[in-house]
Amino acid sequence: MTATVSAREAYRLELTELAADDPRIVCLEADLGGPKHCFQDRFPDRFLNLGIAEASAVDIAVGLASAGLRPFVSTFATFAAFRAGESVKLGLGYLGAPVVLVSPYGGVSGAWFGPTHHCLEDLAVMQSLPGVRIAVPAGEAETREAIRAAADGDWPCYVRLGRNEVFDASFAPAGRGAVTWLNPMGGDTCVVSIGEKPTALCQAATEQQPDLGHAHLCWVDEESLTLALPQLADARRLVVVEEHRAAGSVASTLALLLPDREVLSVNAGADWPAEGGNHDETLAALGLTTSAVLSAVLKGK
Amino acid sequence: MDEIDLLREQASRARRLVVDMAASGVGCHLGGSLSVVDILVAAYAVARSEPGTEVVLSKGHAAAALYAVLHEVGVIEENPAPRYGRAGSPYTGHPGPKVPGVRFPTGSLGHGLAYAVGWALSRRLLNRPGGAIAVVGDGELQEGLVWEALQVAQAKRVGGLTVVVDLNGGQNDGYVSDISPLTDLPARLAAFGFEVAEVDGHDIEKLVRTMAPTDRPLAVLATTVKGKGVPATEGKAGSHYVKISPARARQWKAAIR
Repeated sequence: MTATVSAREAYRLELTELAADDPRIVCLEADLGGPKHCFQDRFPDRFLNLGIAEASAVDIAVGLASAGLRPFVSTFATFAAFRAGESVKLGLGYLGAPVVLVSPYGGVSGAWFGPTHHCLEDLAVMQSLPGVRIAVPAGEAETREAIRAAADGDWPCYVRLGRNEVFDASFAPAGRGAVTWLNPMGGDTCVVSIGEKPTALCQAATEQQPDLGHAHLCWVDEESLTLALPQLADARRLVVVEEHRAAGSVASTLALLLPDREVLSVNAGADWPAEGGNHDETLAALGLTTSAVLSAVLKGK
Repeated sequence: MDEIDLLREQASRARRLVVDMAASGVGCHLGGSLSVVDILVAAYAVARSEPGTEVVLSKGHAAAALYAVLHEVGVIEENPAPRYGRAGSPYTGHPGPKVPGVRFPTGSLGHGLAYAVGWALSRRLLNRPGGAIAVVGDGELQEGLVWEALQVAQAKRVGGLTVVVDLNGGQNDGYVSDISPLTDLPARLAAFGFEVAEVDGHDIEKLVRTMAPTDRPLAVLATTVKGKGVPATEGKAGSHYVKISPARARQWKAAIR
């Protein structure tokens, strides 16, 4: 289960493998897929780099999906959620076209690229569109699983990825509606991790506090979370850790779904991190650290 | 009566339905609906003869014209006018997929053309016949998304795509020429790799002959009159959105030839 490639590369590899057996799959890029794309090498007729035209790319994908094809569109999270936002709302939301958006540079994985290339708001945008399924996989295996699930279904999907870092996830992928327990509950509290860096933070937190449960989720739209709720039934307090702002966060969705439980949020706060540094350093500047997770766990106890 | 005469009759009947929708109590985008009726009648005639061809009304505010024409060509069975804008009816002010014959939601301008590019591309990818006819407004050409989609159509050599521009000269706040003029439009579209044809947008025979999709992207610049067919509204920017009484509707319908 150890990762050998980044989630971004895992997406390209998995989609290329799936396309061998599924002639409906079309791969669309908007000039951010890199000059050497394995899908293009194997299926040049089904690979379309549409250029720097994200809103058009989503609309064109909607046109393709309406004809029975299964288009995957990849662009950075902020461009998917905001530049192409209305196209996503109308095509994936209102029309429900089975387009899959795969978006690297989620959260602040763009780090030193600055706020123009960060996206701490994408889940809020996508969560507000009924019917759009949202996956935030961690590591190669979970990314591959999420891409397979997206290709299998007939729904609009948003898959948020990081940048180029390889995340070593030595755990079983969390499928839709499922929880992967990375540490069993010793008390009444569990941390809930979404995405790669928050999962690492939660792993570090449970090393320091072994009785703390650690539930890892990949599919985080309201419908998918609802399916997973029975597996969280023993947790009275849930501390949701995610690389996102508080508004529209997974924590906020869970809080609405679990009015009788205590749902706390460890999130990226309200700043616009406009300094250099790597991904970890940018997260630290936002206060998204292991100590922040442990502080939240202690709060209210 | 030849086929073109039948299409002209369809257009006249559709115009009367559009006027009925202006008298619906909520009104409608009358001027741009009456300007585009002949284009839509011709587009559906072409689509009938070219299986797999999708007509996309990108200027979705002309929904009244779309519903009227879809009724005249038999896709919408009921007369849509009595239910236009009413609770429980799918005939909203901008068209959506609940309406028979409507595949894409349009009305937020610019998207329809990009949907049509996707549909035309799908013909190539699926190795199926057909193409797409996108009908856009001249004011709509102020949207950046339109030019993005034209750029992609050129770059990907999208065949089977016809873009018909309804050049009625009006938009919400007045005349296109006052707000953001479309200088050198034929040359601009030609520079985007489109074959360009200029026609009278009320000459159904010429429209039918001109707009059939070809292997190369095609732009049909159709000069029209806003409010066409109703003397009281013809050429008037103020006809953009109109709400009238049933009595006025009877007068206006009687004037339609």
